[in-house]
Amino acid sequence: MLAALLKGLWTTLRSMFEPPVTYQYPEVKRPVRDRYKGRHYLQRYDNGLEKCIGCSLCAVACPADAIFVESSENTDENRYSPGERYASTYEINMLRCIFCGYCEDACPTEAIVLGHNYELSFTNRRDAIYTKDMLINPVSIAGQPTPMKVEAGQFDRAIPEMEDPK
Amino acid sequence: MSELILFRHLDIPDINDLDVYLANGGFKGLREIVGKKSPQEVVDIVKASGLRGRGGAGFPTGVKWSFLTPDVFPRYVVINADESEPGAFKDREIMERNPYQLLEGIAICCYAAQAQTAYIYCRGEFWDLAKELDEKIAELKDRGFLGKKLFGEKFDLEIYIHVGAGAYICGEETALLESLEGKLGMPRLRPPFPAAEGLFAKPTVVNNVETLANLPPIITRGADWFRSIGTEKSSGTKIFSLSGHIAKPGNYELPLGTSFRELIYDNGNGIPNGNAIKAILPAGASAPLLPASEEILDTGMDYESVSKAGSQLGSASIIVMDETVDISWVAYKTTKFFNHESCGKCTPCREGTYWMFNVMQHIKNGEGTFDDLATLNSVAESIVGKCLCALGDFSTMALTSGIEYFQEDFNAHLREKV
Amino acid sequence: MSSSQVKLMIDGNTLEAPRGMLLVDAALRAGIDVPVFCYHPKMEPVGMCRMCLVEIGRPSRDRQSGEFLLDENDQPIINFGPNLETACTTRIDEGWVVYINSERALEGQKQIVEFLLTSHPLDCPVCDKGGECPLQDLTMLHGPGISRFSFHDKMNSLKRVALGELIILDRERCIQCARCIRFQEEIVDDPVIEFSNRGRSLEIVTFSEPGFDSYFSGNTTDICPVGALTTSDFRFGSRPWELNAAASICPHCPVGCNIILNTRREVKMGGSEIVKRVLPRQNEMINEIWICDKGRFAYSYAMDSERLSQPMIRVGGELEETSWDNALKVAAEGLKQSGANLLGLAGGRASNEDLYNFKQLIQGLDGVSMLNDFMAGGKQNQQIGLGPGSNLGDLGVGDAIVVIASDLLEEAPIWWLRVKQAAERGAKLIVANARFTKLEKYSAHTVRYSFGDAPETVLGMLHYVTGDSSLNKYAKVDGQEESARIIKEATNAVLFMGSEGSDSESSKRLVQACGSLLAATEHIGKANNGLIPVWLKNNTQGAWDMGLTPPEKHLAEEFRDRTALYLMACDPFGDNPEMLQELPQDAFVIVQELFHTPSVDRADVVFPAQSFIERDGTLTSGERVVQLFYPAVSPHGESLPDWKILARIGALLGVAMESTSAAGVMNRIAEDIEDYGEIHYRELMNREDQWPPVGGKQIYFGGTAYENSQGIGIRLSSRAQRGEAYEPVWKESPKKPKGEGIRIVPIVKLYDQGTTVLPSLLLAQRIGQPELVIGQEDADRLLLQNGAQVEVQWNGTAHQFPVAIDNDIPEGIVLLPRNRQLGLEMPMACNLTPVKPTSKEKGE
Repeated sequence: MLAALLKGLWTTLRSMFEPPVTYQYPEVKRPVRDRYKGRHYLQRYDNGLEKCIGCSLCAVACPADAIFVESSENTDENRYSPGERYASTYEINMLRCIFCGYCEDACPTEAIVLGHNYELSFTNRRDAIYTKDMLINPVSIAGQPTPMKVEAGQFDRAIPEMEDPK
Repeated sequence: MSELILFRHLDIPDINDLDVYLANGGFKGLREIVGKKSPQEVVDIVKASGLRGRGGAGFPTGVKWSFLTPDVFPRYVVINADESEPGAFKDREIMERNPYQLLEGIAICCYAAQAQTAYIYCRGEFWDLAKELDEKIAELKDRGFLGKKLFGEKFDLEIYIHVGAGAYICGEETALLESLEGKLGMPRLRPPFPAAEGLFAKPTVVNNVETLANLPPIITRGADWFRSIGTEKSSGTKIFSLSGHIAKPGNYELPLGTSFRELIYDNGNGIPNGNAIKAILPAGASAPLLPASEEILDTGMDYESVSKAGSQLGSASIIVMDETVDISWVAYKTTKFFNHESCGKCTPCREGTYWMFNVMQHIKNGEGTFDDLATLNSVAESIVGKCLCALGDFSTMALTSGIEYFQEDFNAHLREKV
Repeated sequence: MSSSQVKLMIDGNTLEAPRGMLLVDAALRAGIDVPVFCYHPKMEPVGMCRMCLVEIGRPSRDRQSGEFLLDENDQPIINFGPNLETACTTRIDEGWVVYINSERALEGQKQIVEFLLTSHPLDCPVCDKGGECPLQDLTMLHGPGISRFSFHDKMNSLKRVALGELIILDRERCIQCARCIRFQEEIVDDPVIEFSNRGRSLEIVTFSEPGFDSYFSGNTTDICPVGALTTSDFRFGSRPWELNAAASICPHCPVGCNIILNTRREVKMGGSEIVKRVLPRQNEMINEIWICDKGRFAYSYAMDSERLSQPMIRVGGELEETSWDNALKVAAEGLKQSGANLLGLAGGRASNEDLYNFKQLIQGLDGVSMLNDFMAGGKQNQQIGLGPGSNLGDLGVGDAIVVIASDLLEEAPIWWLRVKQAAERGAKLIVANARFTKLEKYSAHTVRYSFGDAPETVLGMLHYVTGDSSLNKYAKVDGQEESARIIKEATNAVLFMGSEGSDSESSKRLVQACGSLLAATEHIGKANNGLIPVWLKNNTQGAWDMGLTPPEKHLAEEFRDRTALYLMACDPFGDNPEMLQELPQDAFVIVQELFHTPSVDRADVVFPAQSFIERDGTLTSGERVVQLFYPAVSPHGESLPDWKILARIGALLGVAMESTSAAGVMNRIAEDIEDYGEIHYRELMNREDQWPPVGGKQIYFGGTAYENSQGIGIRLSSRAQRGEAYEPVWKESPKKPKGEGIRIVPIVKLYDQGTTVLPSLLLAQRIGQPELVIGQEDADRLLLQNGAQVEVQWNGTAHQFPVAIDNDIPEGIVLLPRNRQLGLEMPMACNLTPVKPTSKEKGE
């Protein structure tokens, strides 16, 4: 009985001299693993075109029904993505999202990627809906913003490069 | 050399003149039957003669006629003059040099089939020939060999020429009928066969030029005489179009059953430049090629023997290749041909010919791998026996037989997969 | 076992089926799927795609006796051919042994899928067909996991080829099955698309101007087994699995095609549901699996932003939006004060529930209620219409179909299609009209009469049937005698009666004559026999059944001296602006409408009504089939269904009406109206197994048309069928005044300028501008050339139209498509004045 008590107190005493594991969040942030699944980002190609083709496969893969996509047709005058189709609306309800990453798996163009940002907080439900403007990556230095005007026939395939099956 | 039945112009130079033709027994056969024999009797004579279709399939002509749906009229006779097999140029010579024998043959066929209208479907490239034939038909009409109540009997006949637009597939009888009706040249579903529902959905006989040119002598000289020529199952003579590496290419009319050796060496004077013979394509692009072994050279050129040797006599457009020929190049050329000529109606042929051509192109360009040969064989296997018409099967034959007999020719172009 | 049935074994299951049935059908009827692409159960097989490869073994027969040869175990010896055969082209026979899922057959099917995929693009993620695609489904079932075909060898073709503004072709996705080409050629006889080129370059082209010029073009997208043909309204609109489906009935014509409204919520509509596309819903007795392009593309009016969304009342001469309670109060007050001489006028596009409540309300207020129409025949349809057991699809050899005074293709395209198909099956078709219509192409006999002589023409036929000598003066047109004989000898006869060239008087005489003809030839009171009126509106028959009939006098006379006017689903002041003068200035007008029509401008109270996509209700087709439509989206603004508005006013005025649900109104109807005694919503939701299977798992077979699980409707029985005697009457034609000048005759064009069509921007190009069709003689006399402008005056109004010359139009007649704001409901006298009398030509 006493032995057990002393054993417990010994543990307490010992840990008093160990360095603390607590981070002083938000001043100090704990680094996440490479494959951590946080907030989503919609990717762009180097030239600025959006990778998302508005196929809604992420939405159908989503177990929480958090994603809503509406698509429209690209033209060479107003081109958002390669191929014929782009997402004119892309919304993720972050309150619903369970960060499972199925959307990432389902995406045929690797357009949606779950990043490392886990700092999602809202003061009302509407703010939890992230729209396409919030989700999409900024255009890189080499690229142009979308929609862009391109030469006819330059980007007429939705999935520009696909390897031969090995 | 045996007697010439079809190439009588070689014996009688001006037989393409109507008077000369008449002076040499022309239209005797037609006169002998019209009003004197019943159509059925004519069918029986042709059946007894053992005449087989010269277009390629070798189907007994008289039997084909007897399949016509009884009591449905009008009926049509359509003459397949869409000679487009690579290496075949026999029908052209008949139409050019001995046209009246063909026209008389058409008339006899129409009488036997109880048809009053015949269409000659001429390949597009024969437009000049078609024009000449038109003149000949007009002449026959003027002279009372065509038109209403021929020879005062109850037999009307009109012959029309239709010029195709240059599609190989229109040599296939149902595609030919579609084209003749003004539609896209694509084979029809069979049954119904043309004998039941052919041109304009009426009973129709479709015969090759050479087949019909055989009819006048059969009528005048009898079935037994005809049977005495050639082999037991393949009677009569056949025009062999000989081309390729041959000293004296050309058309040769010889009895069926004549050996390859006789044709190539005795008639065609052998291979030029003293080269050795390598392979034979006995039916243009549409049959497996045969390696030119002694045994093959001694094979008789009749429907049964060639088939036993592993190929087909087909239209007997014999292409000879000497030792300098790369068989993979031959396979490339045939796949290219069939890719170009597939009508696109059924999937295996449309996609398969495109696929095989692409692979052959890679091989030709030195980008092929050893796996490609397996792919080619497998694609060919997927095509064979799965198409509406024979073109799909044909498209694989030179290729697969080439791989079978001359794989080293292919290997020279291939590399290991990296 | 009858001799026409054969026994065969498929994959080890023994089954019986009619001899000569296609193997693919026989297998599917037994529940065994055979994969197909080019085969479609509504079309002749072609055996092009080769997907349905199966192993077929046939029993050997003794050559002499024809008996089966037996092996040592007394089992028939079965011979399997060297090749696989196509199940879609092979007709079954006794004793066959078929393997559909054997290793060899599956291998063959796998090879075909591999071939099809060699050049098919992998753009399922962006393809509108993805998710309801036969190629996708069959690839998953039968295809190889990987392709051996080099990606770089894939053939790249054009991705966006507009075959017209309605249908878009993706050449890369096309698998050359020719279903679309064959549909246009075999089924609707509009061969405007064809293959061009050959081999791997085979591609679909259109050669009509405008492209893909057919009223049925949308159906090709349903039967396309890949995403090669898509409709432009749904292009990238949504993925099929994201859509909700509501069953509905097409509101455009009296055929009553069963449709599905596919809806989805949309951000730009504030997250509310909108209709994304219209697809056919199978009903083999009505529309089979087809709908016309008007039904498919003219739906956007229901979601138009111009729709009325708030009740309005007139305050100081202006309409002002107000609350429902206030508007209802104002309406009730108005009716109380000036309802002494009330006229209720309803349109034929309202539902049965609306029309019934309308009748109840107006009757309860001692007013007069009428249907805004002029054509007669509703009563006769109740007496001698087609009854239960009828199906136009059953008509064939030995039957007769008469189409009189109607251009069916323009007025009711699906009836046209079914009549044409019946004629092709062997039914004798008689087309009687004053001008050429496309249906004549399939007719056994064409009867051509002068405009306005339709009743006399039928009486002439009656003369040949009965021998009544008093009628022989009407037997004067070619084909009457022959037609009479055909009708008399026919096993079944159906008569379509339209209103082309008729006014209200002659329409009455025409229907009497038609009824007499049917009665005299004993084609009444039986299934597949009787009258079908070709109404101008979808639910005109329902209005007749609810007790509303067209005005006896001209509408203008009905309007005079009225103190109040109640309009529902009709726009008399828009149809004819002259009517404004007929109604007393101080008359109190209530309008229930969808749009701000000219009648709304005259209204004192305006109630926003709901369109067919927002509510439920029933419609009665011209064949007298009562069918149920369901709500698909939430209501526009504050709009309410018409029946409910009426019930709420009724409550304020002490007229008791059903106000809880449309189904409740139908229960009242069932109590009140004998013919509808058996009709309740529950019964209208009846379903039946139908052939061919469509949608769902069998999408590869019949196409993406929806399976009908929401109700195939109920066909009302005719009085004659219930044994009630039909007393045929016909009236002598009045002596026609020898009319001077030219008569203008309204005709129907499918794509008219109605409020339900105009908002469909997609159809804008097809609607075009109305042209005045004129005969050669009149054109010559007036020195008019094609396209010249002409001023037409009738009834004191003048309008200008370009002229289209048609040799077929007799002298003294001009035709004009029916249109709003023209005041041209029935034929009338007119004057033509060329606007620029070919001055241009003279100047040159």
